[in-house]
Amino acid sequence: MGTIKRILVIDDEDDIREVAQVGLEMVANWQVITASSGAEGLRKAKAEQPDAILLDVMMPDLDGPTTFRKLQAEVTTQHIPVLLLTAKVQSADRRQFADLGVQGVIAKPFDPLKLSEEMIRLLGWDS
Amino acid sequence: MDDKSSQVRAAVAQLWERSRGTMLSRVAVLEQATLALLAGVLDAAGRQHAEREAHKLSGSLGTFGFARGSRLAREMEHLFQGGAPLGQAEASHLSELVGTLRQDLAGPAPAPPTAPVPEDKRPRLLVISAEVQLAEQLAAEAQARGLRTESVTTLATARDIIAHAPPTVAVLDLSFAESPDTGLSLLSELAERTPSLPTLVLTASNAFVDRVEVARRGGSGFLQRPLPPAQILDAVCQCLGRLRAAETSVLAVDDDPHVLALLQALLQPQGIRVTTLSDPLRFWEVLQETSPDLLMLDVDMPSLNGIELCRVVRNDPRWAEMPVLFLTAHTESDTIHQVFAAGADDFVGKPIVGPELITRITNRLERTRLLRTLAETDALTGVANRRKSTQVLEHFLSLASRRSQAFCLAVVDIDHFKRVNDQHGHATVDAVLRRLGEVLQRSFRGEDIVARWGGEEFLVGMYGMSRDDGVQRIADLLEAWRQEEFDGPANERFHITFSAGVAEYPTDGGDLQSLYRAADRALYQAKAAGRDRVLPAGWHAEQSQAEPQADVVLVDDDETLAAVLLQAMETRGHRTRWLRDGQEAVAALGGATPRLKTRMLLLNVDLPGLDGLSVLRCLAQDDVARHTRVIMLTGHTAETEVATALELGAFDYVAKPCSLPVLLQRVRRALQG
Repeated sequence: MGTIKRILVIDDEDDIREVAQVGLEMVANWQVITASSGAEGLRKAKAEQPDAILLDVMMPDLDGPTTFRKLQAEVTTQHIPVLLLTAKVQSADRRQFADLGVQGVIAKPFDPLKLSEEMIRLLGWDS
Repeated sequence: MDDKSSQVRAAVAQLWERSRGTMLSRVAVLEQATLALLAGVLDAAGRQHAEREAHKLSGSLGTFGFARGSRLAREMEHLFQGGAPLGQAEASHLSELVGTLRQDLAGPAPAPPTAPVPEDKRPRLLVISAEVQLAEQLAAEAQARGLRTESVTTLATARDIIAHAPPTVAVLDLSFAESPDTGLSLLSELAERTPSLPTLVLTASNAFVDRVEVARRGGSGFLQRPLPPAQILDAVCQCLGRLRAAETSVLAVDDDPHVLALLQALLQPQGIRVTTLSDPLRFWEVLQETSPDLLMLDVDMPSLNGIELCRVVRNDPRWAEMPVLFLTAHTESDTIHQVFAAGADDFVGKPIVGPELITRITNRLERTRLLRTLAETDALTGVANRRKSTQVLEHFLSLASRRSQAFCLAVVDIDHFKRVNDQHGHATVDAVLRRLGEVLQRSFRGEDIVARWGGEEFLVGMYGMSRDDGVQRIADLLEAWRQEEFDGPANERFHITFSAGVAEYPTDGGDLQSLYRAADRALYQAKAAGRDRVLPAGWHAEQSQAEPQADVVLVDDDETLAAVLLQAMETRGHRTRWLRDGQEAVAALGGATPRLKTRMLLLNVDLPGLDGLSVLRCLAQDDVARHTRVIMLTGHTAETEVATALELGAFDYVAKPCSLPVLLQRVRRALQG
């Protein structure tokens, strides 16, 4: 296999999903699958087995942390690394998210040009 | 990277144009909350709402390049946050913040200097002609029809423009100072390099052979001079219409025939193909058949209403992303709520206002198209990606099933990919993948789909093709591919092969997944059998004792023919043996319990020692023709010889010398029959 990664982006905001998709596909040549809710994200994570998941924190119904716990509880998805996407940038919030066991936290707003770089760094894909 | 950055910036800027409305409506919520606060009537719910919207804005504006906008929104979020009472001081601060924010968003996106100016979206016509006057006339005519024109007088400039800023359509005047041949070769070049660019050829010739030549080289039209500029432009516009029609189609479902007629009248001139349907019960069938880019539904219909249809559509992952627009006379909030809850994207009130409807539809279509091209093509190779191709393949499968047509799927995988990667590096591997994508794309068009499935693996879906057809086509491609030469980083030159497996619907699998598995298994067998070949699903390397051990046995002393023929056979997954003379053939194939059984025997008449006809006579005694089809290869076409051969049970004969494709074709027929 080459280095083409498949990323699942879960965010309820169309705009953010689209920009993330554009950034990851055009900059890194990755394949992007999107989901607009936690529930859809869970389904797609299971079915599509992406290499990593970019998960928004603030979503109606299933929020990011709950979705993450469900991903962890499911045998077929618990191995997939998850990065949280959040506009909460205070260090207390970030620590709390890190305590969940996610691989990293990416702050919103993000620069679509640098998103893949940051993901590579957080996921350790550069080593 | 700089080029790529500006591409990404441009794409983001385009996305911003569409998101601006949503963002402004969020700002409006903040404004209202601020006003309510100033008036002393902001309640807890309103404050919470404002906090949420501010949060969303702070999280997204910066992503679109409005860094200050994000900061302003964050500050407002903090102010609205928490239970602390907000006084007049906070209120006036908020109103300052929201004012600045609105100002920021009203301007153009503060795109970095690299971002290109929003381009002129009118279609571009390239006129390639040495006659300046003709070019000017065409330009004037084009202007009147909303096209931009660029004219060049030499082929060299034309090449340059097409390479760097490809036009939408081109008119190539062959009555050039340079020879017509150079013009024709440009045409072939264009067909190969930019197959999506339609090129109309203008020529003084009326010879049928020239028409054929133009069509063969990929021309989209043949215009005979002299022809008034207006008529040339008619042809150009027709061509563009076809292009756009090929791009967009709308399915409209309404029980009112007047509405359907109106929609058709409004949309058709925009180059949108409209399929109308007044019977909702036929919906699913027509949806699959037309595979539209956008769906328009009426809310109220007898038997099945639009909301129900919309739910059905959204429940199927294939259609989950298709824009759905509702048309209805009901504009009360309850209906609107239901419509959106069912998964609609937009809502248009009746009576229909033409310009509004057109704008809404074209906006939707443009947005999906942009996202789709970004989301549907594999960035490295330009072929469809997995997601897009899955959709198309599913579509082909359902068509094949409904129309009882053949369909086959090939999995193509580069041989020794890892080794190539280790030896020649990433950049070279990328070049190989790009080239394979290009070659596949060029060879498989129309009712085929080419996709990059991941890594070094490509998929080709061929509608209307049996497994055997598929094996042939991919094998032909493999033979051409072996000639491709690649350059490594140290200027080393090398060749690369691929292997493929082909499976057929429904014999090898009744759905995409099982079909893929069958093709993938055949691919695995191709790899195991030595790579560099194409195998059909269900291929067996070893067979039971009772079965023939070979598909094709060649009896000929011509080493060159043997090498070429046997490789071509093996490329197509046939097990082959080569025997050099008649004695050897009789010894191996004759007798009560022959050492070697074969499905087909290619027997040369002129052999040293025992000649072909004598071999055939010996084998006829042992009744070999019962399980083996014999094709005689003969240098003379003496009728008596042929008659004798056929009498002795030969299936066919081929006159030598003959071309390899002809021979392969006959072998194929013999193996099939």
